[in-house]
Amino acid sequence: MNKFAALAAVSTLAFCANAAQADPLKIGIIESLSGAQTSSGRLYATAVQYSVDKINAAGGFNGEDIQVVEYDNAGGATGAADKFKQAVADGVDIVIQGASSAIGGQITEDVRKHNLRNPGNEMIFINVGGEAMELTGDKCQFYHFRYTTTAPMRVNALVSAMKEAGDLGTKVFSINQNYSWGQDMQSAIESAAQDGGFEVVDAVLHDVNKIQDFAPFVARIKSSGATTVMTGNWSNDLLLLMKATGDAGLDVTFGTAYLDQPGNIANAGETALGHYIANNYDNTAGDASFAEDYKAVTGQNPIFVEPQTIFAIGALGQALEGLDFGGGAVDVTKIALALEDVTYESPVGPITVRKEDHQTIRPVVVSKVVKDAKYPADDTSMGFQSVGVVSGEDAIYPVQDSCQMKRPN
Amino acid sequence: MEFAIISTLNGVTYGLLLFMVSAGLTLIFGMMGVLNFAHASFYMLGAYVAYAVSSIFGFWAGLIVAPIVVGLTGMVVERYLLRRVHAHGHAHELLLTFGLAMIIEEMIKLFFGDFPVNYQMPDYLRFSAFSVYGTDYPFFRLFIGATAVVMFALLWGLLTRTRTGIVVRAAERLPSMAEALGHNIPIVFMCVFGAGAALAGLAGAVAGAFYPTNPNMGLELGVIVFVVVVVGGLGSLKGSLLASLIIGLFSSFAVGLDWSVASILDLVGLGGWAHSIGGLLTLELSSVSATIPFALMLIVLLVRPAGLMGERN
Repeated sequence: MNKFAALAAVSTLAFCANAAQADPLKIGIIESLSGAQTSSGRLYATAVQYSVDKINAAGGFNGEDIQVVEYDNAGGATGAADKFKQAVADGVDIVIQGASSAIGGQITEDVRKHNLRNPGNEMIFINVGGEAMELTGDKCQFYHFRYTTTAPMRVNALVSAMKEAGDLGTKVFSINQNYSWGQDMQSAIESAAQDGGFEVVDAVLHDVNKIQDFAPFVARIKSSGATTVMTGNWSNDLLLLMKATGDAGLDVTFGTAYLDQPGNIANAGETALGHYIANNYDNTAGDASFAEDYKAVTGQNPIFVEPQTIFAIGALGQALEGLDFGGGAVDVTKIALALEDVTYESPVGPITVRKEDHQTIRPVVVSKVVKDAKYPADDTSMGFQSVGVVSGEDAIYPVQDSCQMKRPN
Repeated sequence: MEFAIISTLNGVTYGLLLFMVSAGLTLIFGMMGVLNFAHASFYMLGAYVAYAVSSIFGFWAGLIVAPIVVGLTGMVVERYLLRRVHAHGHAHELLLTFGLAMIIEEMIKLFFGDFPVNYQMPDYLRFSAFSVYGTDYPFFRLFIGATAVVMFALLWGLLTRTRTGIVVRAAERLPSMAEALGHNIPIVFMCVFGAGAALAGLAGAVAGAFYPTNPNMGLELGVIVFVVVVVGGLGSLKGSLLASLIIGLFSSFAVGLDWSVASILDLVGLGGWAHSIGGLLTLELSSVSATIPFALMLIVLLVRPAGLMGERN
């Protein structure tokens, strides 16, 4: 064993010495770039490229431009595992992924195993969209950073903002998709009931993006007598649910997490008005330069998952500023340690990393769909107007007991 | 009572929607023996063509143009692609249509983007037809249902009551005999395939205005449509209608029912034990409502492999 360690150390040293000239930092995006989830995956990839270009324009890192490589995981965990191996072979230092917690779970495990087997040659996984609690719970590890919210953060923010606006009511219906994210949402809604002063009159989990007809679910919402519906549904499951509710003339207020997905507002039409969303970014916050610059470069408004991705890379850039490897080998562990200490000032507030589980402590913005919004969505006159920003300290929840993080020595 | 009436209404209209989409698939399989994997893609193509046309010429123009464009596409596919591989057997036809489905999906993404497009019904169709127990019933659902019923009646009449129907059926049963009698069988097949595709196009144009029109819509409905055709009996129009209605009603009623294995065990006093074990035993019927059609298919395949009304074996 000792011999092995010594051998590994020697070979690592030798490797370092060889690669002494210029070692660019390599970022690998393992994202859903084909298949059903292309719409989300492409947005993440564009946002990463946009932010890395900014860092490179300011001089790059380690005397070189930061390189970005895109890998298409074809929307599945198997594809992601495959592409991860390729990324390792290509010498990627930092992996970024966002669309789907299931894929995030696969990548974080792959990264953990890789780091165990290749000490001195670690990789970081920056998770910009996978919100499953287990990623910072059972599966939490030092080299995983989550730069987005989780179910309890979104639900707590929704509850407090909707209550303040007088739109919460006392009877809440919880409807979610039957997998890790939906189950997290359901338990977050149930545990927010006491503080929010409401009762969960009925809770239902359903299959993910398989249901074409939500009318039966609307009938169930109606018979429960709920005035508010809270849901973590995304894509078709949210759109069809809202449309079916509007068609039935049922007067309920929705508290959602993904109403900002492009196309949703246009498709839901007038039905969307008055409903709430808790997310990472407020497009009316502060000066408009952030949104306008993004639109000028990429051609679209950053209204969905782009802001959180840009903030994550921004934080990474800040961490890199304090590091200097003198053009030599990149020490990924040092980058991870530096990233832990970064406080990134986003347009909506500061974002920091909680060292115990690497969940970011970040403000959560609650917005409402209104007519004649400042930044209309999908070429309609409707858009999101912020009704409240819940600060990071208020939105965060205690570290999960299941998280046993091993820090590097 | 309220639950029963509303669930029945929802189930029947959803069933009719399923029939509307699967009618073309059944027709093509029944008359040509081709299992068309690209059928749901034709459905999606119909919705997008209707969207593109309706944004310039209005909703009804879209409804008319979509089936024509998709039907012509179908004819081209049959004439220049399917006919070439026909001699090599079913597997080749299957693979060809499978590839076609992928190509159509990526083409749609290329031209219309990854996100749902804003294809809406006109405002004057957006009203509630009637109200049951305080729940509005949108007129457009009835419109979808009516389209499906008309589709069924027309197809049924055409195939069984007209001369064209006789030729088409003869072409399917005994192609060489029909050919010997002077009928142009390749043209008949091309028209049947075109008609099946046109039906899918019409379904897309109608349903796309009600459901979101996005690049995944074919994928989402495609599987369930195959279930309908298998349960109903491959190639049987009546069987498809029956299977659509059964699946629609089952899905609709399942959502409202909180049944689980545990609640059945409650009846014999074992409920507490079942709840303490959890897992599959406490899984509610409503959370697997989208799986019910597949369970139904499994049972039908076990009991009646030919499907509810299928003749062939």
